[in-house]
Order: sequence, then C-alpha cells, then structure tokens
Amino acid sequence: MRIDGIMRKSAAYLLGAALTAVLAPGASGQKASDPQFKVKLDFNRWHDCDELKADLLRLEKAFPKFLKYSSIGKSYEGRDIMLMTINNPDTGPESSKAAMYIEANVHGNEIQGAEICLYTIWYLMENYGRIDNITRLVDERVFYIVPTVNPDGRQYFMSAGTSGGRSGHVPVDDDNDGLFDEDDVDDLNGNGVIEQVIKYVPGQGTHRKSAADPRILEPAPAGKPGDYVLLGTEGIDNDGDGRINEDPPGGYDPNRNFASDWQPNYIQGGSMDYPFQLPEARAVNDFLLAHPNIAGVQSYHNNGGMILRGPGAEWMGEYPASDAQVYDELGRNGERILPFYRYLVIWSGLYTVHGGFIDWTNDGLGILSFSNELWNTGQYFTSPELKEQQRNPESPINPRVSSFFFDDYLEFGDEFNEWKEFDHPVYGKVEIGGWKKYQGRIQPRFMSEEVCHRNMAFSLYQADEMPQMAAGEATVESLGAGVYRVRVDFTNKKLIPTILAKAAQNNVVRPDLLTAGGRNVEVLSAAWVRDKIRPGPTQLIDQPDPARIIVRNGHPGRSTRTIEYIVRGSGEMTVTYSSVKGGTATKTVTLK
Amino acid sequence: MRRAAPAVLLVAGLAATMAAGADFTKYHNAAELTAFLQEAVKAHADISRLVEIGKSREGRPIWAVEIANPRGAPVESRPALLIAANFEGDQVIGSEIALFIVDYLLNGYAANPEIRQRLDSSAVYVVPRVNPDGAELMFSPVKTGRKTNSAPFDDDNDGRIDEDGPEDLNNDGVITVMRVKDPRGDYMIHPDDPRLMKKADAQRGEAGAYRIYWEGIDNDRDGFINEDGPGGVDLNRNFQHKYPYYSPDAGRHMVSEPESRALMDYVIGHRNIAMILTFGESDNLITAVGRRGELGPASTIDLLAFAQQSTAEARTVGVFQISPGFGRGFRGGGPGGEEAGPMGRGQQPAARGQQARRPAETVNTEDIEYFRTISDRYRALTGLRSAPAVRIPAGAFFEYGYYQFGVPAFSTPGWGLPASPRGEGEGARMPQRPAEAQPPAGVQAAARRGLGAAPAGATAAEPGAAAGGGEFDLRLLRWMDAEKIDGFVPWTPFKHPTLGEVEIGGFRPYACSNPPAARIAELGKTHGDFVLYLTSLFARVSIAETSVANLGGGLFRIKAEIANTGYLPTATAHGVASRSVKPTMVQIDIAPERIVSGDAKTVFFQALAGSGRRQKYEWIVRGKPGETVNLKAVSQKGGSDSVAVTLR
Repeated sequence: MRIDGIMRKSAAYLLGAALTAVLAPGASGQKASDPQFKVKLDFNRWHDCDELKADLLRLEKAFPKFLKYSSIGKSYEGRDIMLMTINNPDTGPESSKAAMYIEANVHGNEIQGAEICLYTIWYLMENYGRIDNITRLVDERVFYIVPTVNPDGRQYFMSAGTSGGRSGHVPVDDDNDGLFDEDDVDDLNGNGVIEQVIKYVPGQGTHRKSAADPRILEPAPAGKPGDYVLLGTEGIDNDGDGRINEDPPGGYDPNRNFASDWQPNYIQGGSMDYPFQLPEARAVNDFLLAHPNIAGVQSYHNNGGMILRGPGAEWMGEYPASDAQVYDELGRNGERILPFYRYLVIWSGLYTVHGGFIDWTNDGLGILSFSNELWNTGQYFTSPELKEQQRNPESPINPRVSSFFFDDYLEFGDEFNEWKEFDHPVYGKVEIGGWKKYQGRIQPRFMSEEVCHRNMAFSLYQADEMPQMAAGEATVESLGAGVYRVRVDFTNKKLIPTILAKAAQNNVVRPDLLTAGGRNVEVLSAAWVRDKIRPGPTQLIDQPDPARIIVRNGHPGRSTRTIEYIVRGSGEMTVTYSSVKGGTATKTVTLK
Repeated sequence: MRRAAPAVLLVAGLAATMAAGADFTKYHNAAELTAFLQEAVKAHADISRLVEIGKSREGRPIWAVEIANPRGAPVESRPALLIAANFEGDQVIGSEIALFIVDYLLNGYAANPEIRQRLDSSAVYVVPRVNPDGAELMFSPVKTGRKTNSAPFDDDNDGRIDEDGPEDLNNDGVITVMRVKDPRGDYMIHPDDPRLMKKADAQRGEAGAYRIYWEGIDNDRDGFINEDGPGGVDLNRNFQHKYPYYSPDAGRHMVSEPESRALMDYVIGHRNIAMILTFGESDNLITAVGRRGELGPASTIDLLAFAQQSTAEARTVGVFQISPGFGRGFRGGGPGGEEAGPMGRGQQPAARGQQARRPAETVNTEDIEYFRTISDRYRALTGLRSAPAVRIPAGAFFEYGYYQFGVPAFSTPGWGLPASPRGEGEGARMPQRPAEAQPPAGVQAAARRGLGAAPAGATAAEPGAAAGGGEFDLRLLRWMDAEKIDGFVPWTPFKHPTLGEVEIGGFRPYACSNPPAARIAELGKTHGDFVLYLTSLFARVSIAETSVANLGGGLFRIKAEIANTGYLPTATAHGVASRSVKPTMVQIDIAPERIVSGDAKTVFFQALAGSGRRQKYEWIVRGKPGETVNLKAVSQKGGSDSVAVTLR
C-alpha cells in the first residue's frame, strides 16, 4: 500500500542524509556534524510585515538563482502582497512545470502560516543539493509562496494588541450610522494588550471567579446569581453614539469573497457585494488566472488541527468519486504526517462556508486544494498517559483548565494578564485582564518549528504528487505501402490527474492535447490501445483531426496509456502530450 | 427643501426635445451616443453630470448621466432611480429609450412642474449602454446580432480562442442560419409557414429532414460550425443572482467583466439608489410577477435555438471513458477498500443536518403587491401587452437589484408584440403556473451557449416553453408581415464548401430584439412618463412632529414622530430580510450621558411602510432652557430630515 511507499521513501531520505554526511562532508563547505545554514531565521517568534519582507529579501539574496521576490498587488492600505517564486531556471521556465501555490494569513489574526511559508522557502533552499528528494522536488516543480494575503490584517494584529482582526481593512460601516470604522477597541490601561472588561456586581451578575483559580471566570451555576458581568473588550465610546467598540476596522470575512458558491451577505456573512471586490482577493485571483500551471494549493488558517478540503457547503454536492479518492489518499497520509490533525470536508467537518478560497481554486480553477487549520490545543499534552489524565475533571490538565497549567509551567505566565482594577470612563470601577492575543489560536513559540516543518512536509508531499507527464516506450511497425503503426506510452506516475474530474465537468482547465506529426507524416487515425500485451480491438478516437486530439478529462494519476497512430509517410514523427498542469511529454520516432 | 421655480423657458416642449444630436428616428452608434450625451449634459449642466464609470474591453466609455438639481439636499442623500440598458449587445432599443428619457427629463425640467419636483427632490442615474462593444456590432458592415462583450473566451475549451466565428457566406450583410437537407436531421419545414422550421416529433410519425447551423464554415475543422466566435460574456448573465456557473457565455465568474464591474462599483457607491429599471431581454413589467412572486414564462425563437443546438456538444468532445483494464494503472488499493473517505469515517459531521439557508428566488410576499401595482401602471402608460422574446434571467442585473441590493427592480424589453391570438400575456397579471424546477446549471449552460452569432432569443427550449414547435417564431413572423418589417431573410440556395447544397436565410439579426427605429420616439415618451411615475413612489422620511415638555430640575422630555409620506416602504421586505437596505437611523445630537431615560442616542428602525405611517421616539434629557437640540432621521432609500427643537 501507499504507506509502504512513504516509509521506503523515508528510509531513502535517511540513507541519503547519512551518505551525504559520511561520504561528502566537505561537499558544501561543511566542517561540523550538522549543516551550517546560509541564512539564519527565527522560527520562535512572530514577524510583522516589514520583518517578513526583510527575511524574504535576505533569502532571495542568498539564493538568487532560485528565488524571485515580487508583489502580486497591493492591499487596501497599500501594503505589498508579497510573493516568493521558487524555480530552477535550468530545468525550464515556470510555465513548463507544475506549480504549488502556498498562501497564509487571509484572516488577519491567523498569523502563523506566514512563518510556515518562510520556513518552507528556507528549508527548500538550504537543503537543495543536500537532500536528494528536496533537490528533485525543486528541480521538477515550481513553488509560489504568499506568506500573507492580508498584510493589513496581519499588521493590525501584530501592533494592536487584540486577538481580533480576522477582517481585512476595507472600511465597512458595521453599525449603520454612516461612519466607517470609527469605534475600535482602545488600550485603556496602556499595557499594550487589549483585554477583557468585567465588573464586580455581587449577587447580580452572570459569572463568578473560580474558587480553585481566581483567574478563571466561569458562568454562575443555573439558578444562582453570579458576582460579575462581562463588559466586552477594552475600549470606550469613540464616536459618542452611546456604544462601545461597535465599528472596528473592516468588518467582513476576506475568505468569503471568492467566486465559487459565492452568496450575498444574508446567506454568507461578510461576503461583501461581489466576488473579488476586495483588492487582496482580486490580486490572488489575477495571479492564479495568470499561472494555469498551478496544480496544488495550500491555504493556511488556524486553528483546530484540520486538513480541510471542499466542498464548503452541502448543497454543492460531494466531489466526483475519482477526485475524492485522490483527496482521500493525500488527506489520510496527511493525518500521519500531522498528528493531531484530522482530514475533513469543510461543510461536514467544520462549518458551512460559501465563497471560500479553496472552493474557488478547486471548482473554478481546477486546482487540487487543501486548507490546514494550524495548531490544536490538544498538542499541549501529547502522551497517552497525559491524555488519560485529562479525562479526570479534577486534573490540573483537564481541558477546561489545561491552558492555565500550560501557561504556568511551560510559558511561566507569559500569556495571561491577572485581573486588575481600573476606573473605566463609562462603566466606573471595573477589572481588566485575561488572555493575551497569541494564546489559544497560535502555537506557543517554542513549539513553532515542528508546526512549520510538519505542515511544510505535507505540502511538499502534495507538491510531489502533482501530475507529471512522461513519455515511455514507443514502437513503430510497418504495415506496408509506407503506412506505419506507431504506439507511444504516456505515463503520469503521480497520484493527481492532469485534470480533476470537477475541472473537466466545469471546463475550467484547458484540455490536454495529444498532437502528432512530422515533416513527411500524415496521421490517418488515432486510437487508445486497450491492452498492449494481448492483441485485441482498440478504442478509435472519433475526432475530426487525429493529429490534434483533445483529451478533455485529462490523464489519470498513476497510470499509463498507450496511443496508437496509423500514419503514412517517412522520416521522423513526434508525438506530444501537452497538459497545462502536468507538463509536456514528447517522443520522437523514426518511420522505417 | 422646495426652491423657487426657475424662470420658465419660452422654448419648451417639442422644440426642446429636438436639441442638437437628439435624433430619435434612428439607432445611435457609440460615437453618436457619446456626442448626444455630451451635448445634452453641456446644455443642461445645472441639472446633470456625465460620468464615465468605466471602459469596455475595447476601450469604449461606459457613461452614467446623473440628473438632479444639485441645489438643496445633497444628491447622494436623496432617493434615486437607476436606469440601465443594453446589457445584451443586440438589445439596442433599451439604449435608445434611455437616451430619450435623458432628453425628456433634461428638456422638460424647465417647463414641466412634475419633472422639476422630481429632480429637485430625487435623482435619476442613467447608464444607457452597459455593453458598448456588443452594441457597436449593430452598426458594423456584417451584422451578427451578438449579445456578448468583447472578452476573448475559449467557448468550446479546445485550447483555441475565438477561432470559429461566423462568415457571411452569401454576402448579404447579415449572419443568419443554414438549413441542409439531411434525413438524419431533427427538423422539418413548419406546416403553417414554409419559411419556418419545427422539430420533427417522432410520436406523431414526423420524420426529420433537415439539419440547421449558423451561417459560416467550420474554421477549425472540429466538426462544429461557429462554436467559438469572437466575444465572450453576456453581461446580463454575469451578475450574482442565480448566476449560471461555468456557462461559456457567463464569464469566468460573477462580475468578471470590466463592464459589469464598472456598473457594480457604481451601484454600491450609490446606496441611495432606491429603484432600478433595466431594459433587457427579461421581463417583469409587461407581465407582472405572479401571486407567488415568480416571473412569467420565457419565449423561445426556435429557429435560432435549433442553430445554437448544432454547437451544443462542442464542449464535451474528448471526454474518454476509461474501460476496465484500460491503462496499466499502478494505483494501489483502489476505490473504497478498508478506508472510506472522510465522510464515511464517523468523524463529527459538524454541519450535518444543519439546513443551510437558501437565497430567496421569488419576490417576498410582502413586496409582491408593490411590484404588481407598478406593472399595472407600466402597462397602462405604455400600452404594451405582449413581450417579444424574453428569457428566464440567470445572472441578470435587475435580479441582483432586488435579490441582493434590496430595492424594487424591473426589467422590460421596452417594446412589445401585438397580443397573441390566444391572449397570452394579455391583461398581464399572469395566471398561476406551476413552479418549474430549473434544470441543473450544466444543462442550462449547454442550452444557452452565447456564441458569437446568437441573436435575441437564441436559447434552446426554456423550461416551460413548448419544445421546438416554432410557435413563437410564427407569431414573430406574422407580426413582421403585418407591419411590413423586413425581418426575415428568404431562404436562398448556396453551395457550402463542406455541407454541399444548403439554403441560407432566417430571422434578420436585431429584427427580433428591436422594433423599427420609427417607434423609438413613441416608446421613449411612454417610458419617460413611466419614469416620472416611478420617481413619485420613493419613500419619503420626515420628522413629522416633535414636542418638548419641561419636567423641572433641568430635565426635558422630547418626543418625535418619524413619518414616511412616500408610497414605497423605507425598505422592501426583502431588503430587510437580506439586510441589504440599511435600517433608518434616528439620532438625537446630545452627549449620551445627558440622556437620562428613554430611547438611546442612536436608534434604528428596519422599515416603515409609506402613505403616512409613523414611528415614535422619546427621550428624557438633561439641558438648559433655551438650548436647542438637533434631531435627525437618515434613511438610505427615503431621504433624510432634521429639525432643531428648543428646550423650554
């Protein structure tokens, strides 16, 4: 089965690494026992937009042959939407090779995917020439990597101290008062963190502080009054309309502005007025449309530990069986590469999404697409013994309280601000405190490199399984009177077909084209060979021009097809299988 | 905000409507249209503006004329009517009516008190030609009747773009259809009129005798004639409501075209648009929506649909079924096996059983009577009883206008045929018909290929329409005969390079989708009257009554009543349900902490019916005698009002 293949491959990786270390220690100028990397990057902290850009430029400078930094467009506030292209020009131009597109951070507060992007570029470059499978991947494929699709949202999250900020920054009048984004949160106590506001109202509230741990605010038991009311996030009534924090920046969902099953706001909140209205979504789509060689998509989100695929809504119907089968195999291996992640369909495993990005890339662009929901707080305590302990409601690592334990003993209290009294301009005496913005949705910094590596590994596995056409055996048999039977094998040895069944249904990918000819060659007929070994009938192709055959539903994964031509003529004859997403394969034979 | 009427011009009426450039006895090409608009706006710069809202694919300007007297309340706060026309390249009559309306309003302002009242208190935005590239083909040497814009598009997805368009084989200046004698064909001569064709019905023992194609040759030798001509997107199939996904004439995605995007950006930038009137190939005015809010039926010109049908399979060539044992796959496992897909593994089906909310597809029950009342008046004013060929909208702009923008929105071809002998569409309020299931998008896609040369009504059998009987063709032809309209090219023999002996003939492009130019002025006038009627219907929000009571101790009780004196509600029921119309905001201009009791500083109501319905608010505030406090009411679709009350 497939997993054996993976394991064999892993063994090969290990062996390859060992050989490199033992036999060629000086090959990359390496003296110590482990490689000295050319570019030192931090994978234990979060980068704002300028830092991301600086790191991308450092990488580009260190690996100029392979890397090209550019911008695919501007965000609403004018920031570059950064793109790194990884291509080895020696193995062909970008358009001749299948490409993997990896993006992150379309939701402003889901930041850690950008670091995975950075890690991926760094890892591929540092290990090119050192690990055979990485070298091969870089030689055979193209990578387009966009670390943040929503730089405005990222910058806001990094600077504003709030854990909110899913939206982009196109202004929206959330409260219908004719003013746009005029009442955001405010850091009243000036500690750089937007916290929660609670008020002590003995016997009149809805919540109480836990007897076991006063940091924990829990709902009062049914029938009993609590001592606290929750007054929302830290802020004041900036616009004097009597309401607090009711119109922060943006106010929509940047991942509902794509064109597959797009629905208006009342069906899908935050979708805006029409698909690709948002400058960021439009820039991404323009880029994808201009690069039809893209055959794989990964869009990183957080959180929950999921490997998601479409459809986003039940009413869109399940994918055609042959597509689902391919996704399932990738997804199941993904679960092995990413423990704590589950492979799920968006609508049934998460929630219904209309107009989401990967529905558009699958249905509208014919690209096999995943979206990983990064990080799962189940990863705080991983061993079976600890998992067992967590079942005990009294355990300090019971999921209800485990994040406090984790914060106390592993992060030394870095993530929680104790409740402190504050004199609020509207509410009077209140308490302010709570979790800081990085807690919960984003992995702890010290665990970040593993998140980066495992997620990258899944995307590289996907990239490796993108279609790849190759020509195989060819035979020429004279039938007399200058007429020949020519047979050529074409193989796609990868899992993913050159055209997904859904893409063929929707006619959104240019069909594969099988062309044949030569200076002195007339193609009389073409047929698929049912069985190359045993003689028998062939499947004649009923198209007017046998020298240019349209293969609308592409070449399936891990299969070889044999095409047979009956031709008249002499000299060289070239047969070419051209696919947009799986490259082009050519065979030349001589008629004799 | 009434203003003194400006001095009445001495020259009024007919003389004024005949301003330079205003020739309503002909159809206008792009240059003439631009010249007309520029001159008209120049002559009436005090009440109009010409705005280029975008450019077409080929770089032609897309114009919006904004007509309003700018003195008084800011124009963008007043209710406005948007008129948009000529989405379909072959529906040019709508453009001409829109131009006439521009002329009618601009020249009528001085002398017509009704027009003056409307333009002083509301606004009319006119986008007369959304698809200037498509329309321009009406004036080209060879007339194709193309609906689409000029986007390059690989209609048959064969890797070649726009490689097989029509040819005027018989050099008569029009692209019509070819019929070829062929016992394998599906069609026969129509028994009631030998010029027409019908589909042979095997159940009646009828044998097929003809094949039908568009006029042209098979340029790319793929076995199909004219399956991928120039042009790409039918703009009235490119908007967001019931968008026909992945149809070749609907664009790569919703609002994919510069023309549709220009219009969308204009509309969402003018939220004061409170009503939309479009001219196009769908109708909800000549035939009102039914009692369940559904549209009337479509009508199909079969001859064109038959020609279109000849290309229907071009997009399915090259789909190979993999027979068992074919290909020497080294796929492990195979389908199913021990590991089913993610749906089968008992993983938490978070959304299973949760019904996704579906978008509305019929007019909201609460809004139907408004629609039907307006349709009644439309028929009374225009005298139109029976529509020419109309289609079931899918991705049409006017449907966006109601179902997503939330305002009453209408479409009409702008002209009509004589009522049918059977009284079809007569009296106009449609009898109830059974709800029809839409065929899946793919089927519709195949049925409605908007290839290069598809004139009006070139759609295969619409749901509910009689399939291939040629009935509507017969009506059209009888009308043309009666009116002596040269709308049908007689069949003439031609030796076709690949098909051999054929006959070329059929409906003349544009003749089915536009009336003779002589009728433009009359249609323009009646539609001008209809526009005047529409602009009388807007919701009108005012602060009708206020009172102040001094409670002593520096406390005052302020009461206000907000009224809607217009006909329409401040928001349609669907506008409320779809949250697309903002609630009306009522605000008292006082610091929140000075409001001691009562309503909040800022309050909203979702909708208020018209004809004088009222909404009440009250506040107890802290203040000083003699102090004035401002109140305002702001409605997105019904204007604004403000008053200052004095605390006493």
